[in-house]
Amino acid sequence: MTDHHAVLKLTDISRSFGTIKAVNSVSLEIRRGEVVGLVGENGAGKSTLLKILAGIERPDSGQIEINGKRVNFRGPNDAFKAGVGVVHQEQSLFTNLTVAENIDKQNSNRRGLSRFGIQHWSRLNREAAAVLDKIGVKLSPKAIVGDLSFVDRQMVEIARAVCVDPGAGVTPLVILDEPTAVLEQAETEVLEREIRNLRRFASVIFVSHRLDEILRICDRVVVMRSGKLVSDRLTRDITKDDLFISMVDDVAIAPHRSRSRPRASGNPAISVRGLSRKGRFKDISFSAHRGRIVALVGTNGSGRGALARSLFGAEAHDRGTIEVNGKPVSGWSIGRAVAAGLAYVPAERKTEGMIGGFSAARNVALVHHDALKTGHFLSPGRLARLAQTWFDRLDVKPNNIDLPLSQFSGGNQQKVVLAKWLTSPDLKVLILDHPLRGLDVGASQAVNHQIRRACDEGAAVIMIPDTIEEALEMADEILVMRDGELSARHDLTVQGTPAIQDIMAEMV
Amino acid sequence: MNLPAKLREMASWHTMSPLLVFLAMLLTVSVLNSAYLGPLGISIVTASAAPILLVALGQAMVLNIGSIDLSNAAISLLGSILLALALPSLGIGSLLAILLLLTLIGAINGAIVAYTQVPSFALTLGTLGILQTAALVASGAETIYVSENRELVTMFYTYKLANAPLTFWIGVAVAVLYWFVLRFTVLGQNMTAVGKNETGAIFSAVPNRLVKIVTFAISGFTGGLAGLSIVAQAGSASTSGLGSNLLLPGIAAALVGGTSISGGLTNPINVVFGALTVAFVPIAIQAIGAGAEAQSLVYGIFIILVVALTTARTRDAVIK
Repeated sequence: MTDHHAVLKLTDISRSFGTIKAVNSVSLEIRRGEVVGLVGENGAGKSTLLKILAGIERPDSGQIEINGKRVNFRGPNDAFKAGVGVVHQEQSLFTNLTVAENIDKQNSNRRGLSRFGIQHWSRLNREAAAVLDKIGVKLSPKAIVGDLSFVDRQMVEIARAVCVDPGAGVTPLVILDEPTAVLEQAETEVLEREIRNLRRFASVIFVSHRLDEILRICDRVVVMRSGKLVSDRLTRDITKDDLFISMVDDVAIAPHRSRSRPRASGNPAISVRGLSRKGRFKDISFSAHRGRIVALVGTNGSGRGALARSLFGAEAHDRGTIEVNGKPVSGWSIGRAVAAGLAYVPAERKTEGMIGGFSAARNVALVHHDALKTGHFLSPGRLARLAQTWFDRLDVKPNNIDLPLSQFSGGNQQKVVLAKWLTSPDLKVLILDHPLRGLDVGASQAVNHQIRRACDEGAAVIMIPDTIEEALEMADEILVMRDGELSARHDLTVQGTPAIQDIMAEMV
Repeated sequence: MNLPAKLREMASWHTMSPLLVFLAMLLTVSVLNSAYLGPLGISIVTASAAPILLVALGQAMVLNIGSIDLSNAAISLLGSILLALALPSLGIGSLLAILLLLTLIGAINGAIVAYTQVPSFALTLGTLGILQTAALVASGAETIYVSENRELVTMFYTYKLANAPLTFWIGVAVAVLYWFVLRFTVLGQNMTAVGKNETGAIFSAVPNRLVKIVTFAISGFTGGLAGLSIVAQAGSASTSGLGSNLLLPGIAAALVGGTSISGGLTNPINVVFGALTVAFVPIAIQAIGAGAEAQSLVYGIFIILVVALTTARTRDAVIK
C-alpha cells in the first residue's frame, strides 16, 4: 500500500431531496494520511455529503470506493466497519459511562470484550488505553465522560472514530464535522495538534467555518457550493480570499435589495443592553425598530440562536436588560413575551414550532385565540374561517385546514407556523431562527414575502438567516456575531450593501 | 387524495370502536344468557360501571396531557370514607367540602409535577401511598356506616333513570362536559397540545404548568364523584370494601375507550363505553359460567384484545 493509494474515492455522487439537489455529482479522492478541508456555506451540501460517507444517507447515484473496493453502506455500522469514523457537530457520547465504554460502544467487532453479555473490564480498559495512546491523548479509560472538559470529550469522540479493527489493515478515515465550533482558543490549539497527529495513521476530512484554521491544518481544501464540488486545490496554492470567492455563489454575489428604509423615529420595538448569558453570548446591545429587519449572522457556535431564545424568554439571561417599546421587562418568560407582542419561529420546526398531531386549523389558533373573539371558548366555525383566511392569504397547499399539520410539506408547515403568529392583533417583534431551513426555492420566496409583509405592517423582525445572501436580501441591518459577541454591524440603508467577504471575515 | 381518505377511515373506526366493542360483547352475552339484556342486567352493569367511569374520566384527562394519575382511585377511596364520616353531622354540605378538598389534593399533585418535574408516575405512586394511609387512619381500618342523612347520598343510587342509577348518569354528564371542554375550549385545546407535543406547546406560549395543575385537579374532583358513587351504592365506606380496587379498572376503561397512553388523544364519551365494557367483563364471565379461577385470565386477555382493537395507530406517523 503506497501513500498515494486512495483511501476514499467518490465518483459522481448525487442525492436529492424533493426538487433540491443537495449533492450534485460530486467526485473526490482522499489519499492515505491526507488532511482535507471541506468548506462551503450552510446549505452547500456538506452535511449531506458527510451523511452519505457515514452511512446515514444513501446516494441516489454514484459510487463509493474505500481502499479500492466498492462499498454500499446500508447503515452507520457498515461505514464504521469499512473504517469511516465520524465526529458529529453535536457530541454523541454517553456521558454517564466511562471513556473505555464509550470507545467500545462504537465498536461492533467486540473480539471477546464481553462473554455471555458480561463485560471483560480489564481488556476493555486495556484496548481503550491503546487507542488513546495511539492518538496521543492522556486520559484515563476509567474516567466518566460527563466529568471531562469539552475538548477532552472531543478527544474521546476522535478515539472512538479511529477505533477500527487494526487487524483488517484498514486506514481509518476520520470525519470531523465542525469540531471547533464551540471550542475556546486554547482548546482549539490542542485539537489542531491532535489532528496533525492523526495524519500518521489515518486520513481526515475536516469541516470548519473558520477558514484560518482550515488553511493551517489541511493539506488540501475542497469547496462545495449549491451541492457541487467547485474547487479542489492544495492549501499552499490558495489564500483565504480564494476560498471566499469560490464559496460564494456567483449568481447571488450581487443580491438586490428591494427595500431601503430610514431609521424609524420613536422607541424601538425591542432593544437590549449588555445582554449576557454565560457560555452563550456576552454583552450584546442593539435595538430593532418597527418596520425594520435585523439579521444576526455568525457561525453555528456564535451564540445567535441562544440570543434569539433569550429575547423570546425561552432561556434566561444572566445580565443586561431587554426593553420592549421603551419599557424594561422583568421576570421575562415566553408567556410575557407573547403578551408583549413578541413572536418566535424556532429552527426546530417539528419539535418546537408546531403541534404536528393537531390539525392545521388548531395550529393557527394555538396562540392568539383572541382573534376568534370567543373568550375561553373555541367556536369551530370561527376557527375554520380564521384558518381558511390565512390558508388563502399564504397559499398553503393542500388547501385543507383539517389535515394534521405533520402531513404538510416543510414549506407549508412553515407558512402555518408563521400564520399562527401573524394572527396577533398587535405583532411588535417577529423573531425567526432559520426560517427557510429545509425549504425549496418557491417556499422560501413565499415565506420571505410574508416576513417582509409582517415588517411592512409594523413588526420589527429579528432573523437568523441560513446564509449571508439571505441576510443581504432581507435585512436593513446586519449584526455579525463571533464567539458570543457582536463583532460588527452594518446598516444597509445608510452604508449600502457590504461585501460578503467582509462579513465572512468578521464571522471567523 | 387516497391517503387522507384512508386516514379518515381509520379515524372513524377509532371513534366508533369502543361503542362497537361494547355492543358486540353485549350481543354475545345476551345470546348466551338473555337475562342480561333486561332491566336487571342494565342496572347491574351501569351500577358497577359508575365508579369505574368516574375514575376513568379523570384518568383519561390526565393521560391526555401525557401524564398519569395513579393516585386518583385512592383519592376517591379517601373521599368515600370522609363522606361517610362527615355526612351524619354536616349533611349535604360535607359533600361540597370534600369535593373541594379532593380537587385541591389533585391540584397539589399537578403543581408538584409542573414545578419539580418529578415524573407523574413516580409522584402519584407516592401520593397513592400517602392517601391510602390517610384513608386507613380516618376510618380506623373499619367500615364506616352512614348512620344519619344516609338517604342524602343513597338517593343517587336508588333513583333510577332508564334502569341505570343516577351515579351512572352523573358519570355520563361529566363525560359530556369533559368532551365539550376538550373540543370547544381554549383550556381543552391547550391540554391536548401539551399531550401531543409539550415543547411545541411551550414555544406557543401555552401555559403548560397551569394546564397540568388544572388537569390533575379535574382528576381529583372526578375521583371525589367516584367516592360519592361508592357511598351512594354501599351506604358505607371502607378501605377494603366496594371501591377499594378502582385504579387498574379505571386505567383499563380509559384505554378501552380509545385514550392514548402516550398522550394527546382521548374522547371522554368513548370512555363511557370503555367503563361499561370493563365493568361488563366480570359479569359476562360469570354469565358464561366460567370458573372463578379463570376470571382474571379471561379478563386479562380480553383487555389486551380490546385495547389492540381500539388504539389509534395514526400517531406513529405523526410525532417522532
